Amino acid sequence: MNGELLVFAAASAVAIVSALAMLFQKTPVKSVLSLVVTFFALAVLSVLLAAPFVAALQVIVYAGAILVLFLFVIMLLNLTQEAAERETRVVHRFLSAVSVLALGGILVGVTWRSGAPPVPVSASLNAIPATGVDGEIPMLGRLLFTDYLLPFEALSVLLLLAVVGALLLSKRRFE
Amino acid sequence: MNPATMSAAAAAGVSVMSVAPSAYLVVGTILFAIGLAGALLKRNALSIFLSIELMMNAVNLLFLTYARMRGDAAGQMVVFFVIAIAAAEAAIGLAIFVALFRARQTVDVDKINFLKW
Repeated sequence: MNGELLVFAAASAVAIVSALAMLFQKTPVKSVLSLVVTFFALAVLSVLLAAPFVAALQVIVYAGAILVLFLFVIMLLNLTQEAAERETRVVHRFLSAVSVLALGGILVGVTWRSGAPPVPVSASLNAIPATGVDGEIPMLGRLLFTDYLLPFEALSVLLLLAVVGALLLSKRRFE
Repeated sequence: MNPATMSAAAAAGVSVMSVAPSAYLVVGTILFAIGLAGALLKRNALSIFLSIELMMNAVNLLFLTYARMRGDAAGQMVVFFVIAIAAAEAAIGLAIFVALFRARQTVDVDKINFLKW
């Protein structure tokens, strides 16, 4: 029909198939690599949703930093022999599958039937500009330092705490 | 999106989406369910953590969709904060797993039960 529909269908199919691949992979390394594909597809969907800055952030922070950290830890711990163990929890697996299918079905049904949220009458301050990246990043920056200044500063403290905590946890002995 | 809201959206300066927003919402929800299945079914703590990352990304997609539907950037700001908090969480979580592996030589959640009884 049109370009957006084609790109949307392709990116969603890639995202869902590689997420399923992540679910059914036995070794953690392959799971991480499948999830990288999912995150790239999600970045494509973000571009379609007029959020190119978030898409770039997604690729840089998620695919580029967090998943690389995962790969690093997996290879550091050398988990390959552990992944080959036999699965024994039959009841647990059955109940998990039933609850996931039930919750997923309910959520998909509800979101499919839900209409659009009300469009704000005067979308002046937070309005997403139609000019793409050139208009989006200044707007996000302005919001970050005006309306969202307190969460932004709290976030910087949180990141500092995370750095200190990670350093403390990776010390060999607690004394 | 019905015609009334579509014209309202056009009047508010929001460009009209040619793919139904519900389709994005359904994709995000399916990804959330897949992540939930991974969090429940996997035994390796790292794989469970990875599934939780997928769930957060699925919710990010929903936030972006609603931001687009409303033409309001608040949803994008929430995604920004979610990504930053996910980075902090990954650093702490992986450090915990490394410390755990040093103490127990395993990250299998069935064997990590020393807080259970």
